[in-house]
Amino acid sequence: MLQQTAATLLLIGFPNAGKSTFFNLLTGGNRKVSNYSGVTVDMGRADIKSDSDGGIKLKLVDLPGIYNLVPASLDEGVTVKALLNLEGKDGAQKVLMLLDWQRIEASMSLALAVKDIVGSDNIAIVINKDDSAEIDPARRSELEKKLGCRVLPLSALNASPKTVEAFIRGLDLSSQVEPVKKLQITKEAMEFLPAGDHSTRIEVIEETKTITDLINWYHQKARDVLGSLSRPNDEKSRLTQKIDRIVLNPWLGGIIFAAIFYFIFDAIYTWAGPAMDLAEGVVVGMGDFVGNYLPEGHFKSLIVDGIFGGVGGVVVFLPQIMALFFLLSLLEQSGYVARAAVVTDRIMGIFGLNGKAFLPYMSGFACAIPGIMATRTIPNPRERYATLMTLPLITCSARLPVYILLIGTFVPATTVLGIFNAQTLSFFFLYFLGSIAALVIAKILRLSYFKGETGNFIIDLPLYQRPSIKTAFIQSWKKGKTFLTKAGTIILGLSILIWLLSTFPSANPELLEGKTPEQQAGISLEQSMLGTMGRTIEPVIKPIGMDWKIGVGMLVAFGARELFVSAMGTIYSLGDVDEESSPLREKLMAETWSDTGAPVFTLATAWAILIFFVFSLQCTSTLAILRRETGGWKIPIIMFTYMGLLAYGGAYIAYNLLS
Amino acid sequence: MTLNDIKVGDTVCLDDFSHNQSVYFKLISLGLLPGDQVIVMGRAPFGGPISIKHGSETFFALRRSEALKVQVKTSTKAL
Repeated sequence: MLQQTAATLLLIGFPNAGKSTFFNLLTGGNRKVSNYSGVTVDMGRADIKSDSDGGIKLKLVDLPGIYNLVPASLDEGVTVKALLNLEGKDGAQKVLMLLDWQRIEASMSLALAVKDIVGSDNIAIVINKDDSAEIDPARRSELEKKLGCRVLPLSALNASPKTVEAFIRGLDLSSQVEPVKKLQITKEAMEFLPAGDHSTRIEVIEETKTITDLINWYHQKARDVLGSLSRPNDEKSRLTQKIDRIVLNPWLGGIIFAAIFYFIFDAIYTWAGPAMDLAEGVVVGMGDFVGNYLPEGHFKSLIVDGIFGGVGGVVVFLPQIMALFFLLSLLEQSGYVARAAVVTDRIMGIFGLNGKAFLPYMSGFACAIPGIMATRTIPNPRERYATLMTLPLITCSARLPVYILLIGTFVPATTVLGIFNAQTLSFFFLYFLGSIAALVIAKILRLSYFKGETGNFIIDLPLYQRPSIKTAFIQSWKKGKTFLTKAGTIILGLSILIWLLSTFPSANPELLEGKTPEQQAGISLEQSMLGTMGRTIEPVIKPIGMDWKIGVGMLVAFGARELFVSAMGTIYSLGDVDEESSPLREKLMAETWSDTGAPVFTLATAWAILIFFVFSLQCTSTLAILRRETGGWKIPIIMFTYMGLLAYGGAYIAYNLLS
Repeated sequence: MTLNDIKVGDTVCLDDFSHNQSVYFKLISLGLLPGDQVIVMGRAPFGGPISIKHGSETFFALRRSEALKVQVKTSTKAL
């Protein structure tokens, strides 16, 4: 027989039971963890980091949470598919059931159901969130006897990976998990599983009652098994009750919801503002410093105008990006997000959606990609499509640099209505505009193409927990790193390309004769490849108040939104002939139309650009993920078109209203 | 009497509510079985969801349209 070299373990449990935390603990991975259901929507695999030599390699598979074995959405289908090994690839050697001590009865019933399908030899049980070690050795062995399998109580937040590894290595991992019994599911549940003949593993039951009776039976059995095992102390539950009395209060709930989000946006401006000024100063200073050591000519221009102007212009937004993710992580860990879904469910209902759509939309504030993935948790396919097709309208963090740049430069920081900052309010307005547009379009879709009943909204509200500052730092640092990597690769490459296109071909020397340096710089830019491209599109963008330089920025932003800022940085650095470089914000204010001499960036133009960015789908990664999630180009093309039309129309209205 | 009729702060017992299979399916999956006691914790404004507490440590919220499909009876013992 071949020597066994590796064993795979499947991690299965309730949503929000802590599977991803457990996975990260053992593998050093960085799966996203939060305190609400449905964060994990795909399969994650990694090797367990091990200190012991000579042992076989252990692989852990993190799966989306399930409440029962009858999938009701795509993410749950992923888990059932893996448990039954429906794709017939290399299967697992053990199923690790992760139970939630705070919901021990309910999650035990799932373990019993899984045990019946794969047999008690093939599973082991880990009881998570036993934070104060209430399951003592006596209780543990009693449970093991009743269940016929190994049990490990722990708290994944502060458990030692070594103890867990020792537990896993103590299991018999020599044989592959094979179902010993057919899984009974409803006909509707089959649509969340891959197509094909699964009749050897699944029995389709016509009568739903047979299935619900079975689930009921497992719950009763779980109660019998647990019997006198004492319940967790309810200190946390009393705290949760107290907080919920306030945040779910009919009158205060909405105000608290709005206040939390206003506070987050305000923090991005007021807290991260000074850090951004500092970063800007450093970038400009470095550009000058390097520039002093380089001889005049194209090379110096490439470094100072192309790279420092382009990449530097984007990098300065690092503090804001990190501040946003830090605060969002604190909020997600606390358990408030599920309450926000409750508070917003009524509004979502008006637009034909479900409070569950709130969670994907909420992810969309960070980035549309995880948001689109998260729509897998929406059971009703029509609602899922209506959510997915409007999700990129939610203001993602890539729009942040554009918003901060333009609002910070053109909206005065005055106080409005006594307590609000005009910049924060503008910011709030753009976020609001994107969100309301998403909801209205979703409603239109739900009334037309994706017509139908709304699915049910029954959501579990996790107990509140104190957010870990460390986790928030890690999440924020990870996002910061991704942002910097992007700046160092894609944005750097495109900045160089933009520099090349805006420097060559060189202008005819005759044209430059007898002109001031400012005029010469302007003419060179106009004669370049980029100038020609910009001139070509100018008739289209002039009605929305933009000159060709902004037009070029808009064009490159279709690759990724931040590129608008870096393109502006490079283009305006080239046009800037001062010895001292200045931050992009000052350059924008100084820019004038070549024919009239009037400033290019008026409040009207700034708002036209902002509104354009609110609506348009300028992100190649989003288009790619949409194609994958919808299985074709049709939906991405429809979305790109409708969002583009909204963007142009919105910018046109904004420009004409304000000028 | 349905769950939708219950005032905030009151404790009730879930009756047999299996006639609506889709709501029943979802609730029993979460561990809410006929005969269990629940307390109504709050009602969101403008007809928004109702939040309930089940047992000593689990909390849920559901829409009023769903609460209408859940039969309840007055609880005899204190939670």
